[in-house]
Amino acid sequence: MDIIPLKNLLLQNHTDFWPQLKAFTRSARDFEELFLLSSLRRKAHARNLTPPASVAPTPRLRLAILGGYSLYPLHELIEHLCEVENTPVELWQGDYDNYISEIMDDESELYDFAPQIVFLLPAERRCTYTGKLTDPRELQQAEARRVVNSLLDLARKVEEKTRAEIITTNFRLPPLHDLGAYRSRTLGSDWSFRKWVNLELGLAAPSYLHICDWEFLASRLGGLAARDERAWFETKQPCSPALLVELAREAAHLILSLKRAPKKVLVLDLDNTLWGGVVADDGLEGIDLGDTSPRGEAFKAFQKYIVSLKQRGVLLAVCSKNDFARAAEPFAKHPDMVLRMEDIVCFKANWEPKSENIRAMAPLLNLGLDSFVFVDDNPAEIDIVRQFVPEVTTILLGPDPSDYVAQLADCRLFEPRSITHEDAGRTSQYRSDAQRKTLEASVTDMASYLESLQMEAVISEFTPVDVPRLSQLINKSNQFNLTTRRRSEAEVIAVMHDPECVGYSMRLKDRFGDHGLISVVIGKKSGETMQLDTWLMSCRVLKRQVEEEVLNEIARLARARDCSRLEGVFLPTPKNEMVRDFYGRMGFTLTSESETRREFELRLAHFQPIPTKIKIARRAYEPS
Amino acid sequence: MNQAEVIAKLQTIFDTVFLEPVVLTPVISAKDVPEWDSLTHISLMVSVEKAFNVRFRVGEVEHARNVGEFADLILKRQIEP
Repeated sequence: MDIIPLKNLLLQNHTDFWPQLKAFTRSARDFEELFLLSSLRRKAHARNLTPPASVAPTPRLRLAILGGYSLYPLHELIEHLCEVENTPVELWQGDYDNYISEIMDDESELYDFAPQIVFLLPAERRCTYTGKLTDPRELQQAEARRVVNSLLDLARKVEEKTRAEIITTNFRLPPLHDLGAYRSRTLGSDWSFRKWVNLELGLAAPSYLHICDWEFLASRLGGLAARDERAWFETKQPCSPALLVELAREAAHLILSLKRAPKKVLVLDLDNTLWGGVVADDGLEGIDLGDTSPRGEAFKAFQKYIVSLKQRGVLLAVCSKNDFARAAEPFAKHPDMVLRMEDIVCFKANWEPKSENIRAMAPLLNLGLDSFVFVDDNPAEIDIVRQFVPEVTTILLGPDPSDYVAQLADCRLFEPRSITHEDAGRTSQYRSDAQRKTLEASVTDMASYLESLQMEAVISEFTPVDVPRLSQLINKSNQFNLTTRRRSEAEVIAVMHDPECVGYSMRLKDRFGDHGLISVVIGKKSGETMQLDTWLMSCRVLKRQVEEEVLNEIARLARARDCSRLEGVFLPTPKNEMVRDFYGRMGFTLTSESETRREFELRLAHFQPIPTKIKIARRAYEPS
Repeated sequence: MNQAEVIAKLQTIFDTVFLEPVVLTPVISAKDVPEWDSLTHISLMVSVEKAFNVRFRVGEVEHARNVGEFADLILKRQIEP
């Protein structure tokens, strides 16, 4: 790596220094290179050469690092890696091997610092079995469990005090031959003991605790290259400089991925990407694909890996400079194609520039271009996409198709999202759904079940703050949706301002959790009639008497607007069969019926509000 | 290799690591170079070990009081790894 041009940019106080620093940092592999880049960054700050505003959004992320090692210069590398990726951090470092008291002491500086992220490196030397190698396995396992539990306790304490996301390292395995083959026949060896602790820690970690997998990083690098006892004795370094770089990169990756979504779409070239050769020239029989040749086997393996990404939720698209019919033919007819047409959400095979084709995909899939990854074996195509749609991440496949799988599997773009507090909320929602179902089974009649749920609803007229959620639900609900009329946010706002319209939503919670906004109604007053333009509900709250309360509300609002009847219509779609007779069940009378619509009415003169087990905490258009 | 040759090669490493030019002599030491702090020192040692293909023994680098003694240590470890 030739650092001189970068140093010159710095000496000239040139603003190109920052983008260049980022590029150098991404490609730096060695400790001393990375460290040097970091010191240049510090010197740039000292010379008041500040990054452009877009590169340095404030405020800084508050990051605490603590553990059983010297955190110097690890902290420097992490700070650098985060900052060049537009996430500057404010650091707090614990003292050497003081992490337990820093965490347990309520008055510690750690808590004064109020970190948003805590990076913990527990001391490896405490992860060891202190008894005999020949002790009963139960005894050894109990001690391993104690190590796991004490770590989980520390994490819980930090979480309770700070609500921070916590990242902890696990433990490296000793790479020396010590104990020989016996090492894996007892839990008492560091090898087995730490393996067990690492596994148990990962499986038992709550959602706020993220594992920085040091065992994996060391084994990826090579155990011998990872150890450096001299660095431990001299300056209490946790590992060799080479592993320190990997550790810093992983920590930065975890920190950055807490606020960054994974990519969602993989856009694939065809010729020499999914198969060998050019289908338009070589023909269906001429392309290299399948188990008859090593090269064909490699392409097939690549396709299999791509299918596994699809199963993880990645959307697949094709973008090829090709005649459509020729490009599509292998998908339909080639016996060794793993990918089939139905795996591809968007298939572009034409002679337009790939940049334009990819740009056109974004609105079709309703996704931002920054969630796209484009893969091609042709550097010119990669370059066009980089230049004209820079938001898209590109991967240039190397010359050897046997490396294709590794290139994708190592790109770090499609990792399942780190579990955030938000996701944890979702998990607990699933869990409370499960509890609710258990309760349903144990209570003998429905009425007492509903009563036991202690449901509470808030009904609100449309409000500006709810607009995105309202529009989302209006555009997403398929099953319990009487008319399936879609509305943009602007159209929702228009309803909100129309004096002839009533629009309201219901939120529901019960003793197990909050369901959020679950039902939307839009009514239009026409003389003495209130027409129900929209009525939809989230299926999660079926059979909870929400429909009844929603009807009670519309009747109340209609009466308050001098209406004497409600008019409801059911517009059938392939998905809303479940509400075909909904109005009938709610006491409406069928007034007209055709294949494409069923109309109902409800006279309000004799309507009595339907009693339910839901407590209404607030009603629409009323002061809260 | 003699001490002067080692120092000449060290000079290229220092030129990379330090932003402000430093002219190495046998008597110069860390306290004479503002940029040469304990953090930079770690990085410097990693670079030196790679460039000269040597490995220092535990604790011995801190006994070198200046660049001349450090160069002698490099020479010693080249002969006696």
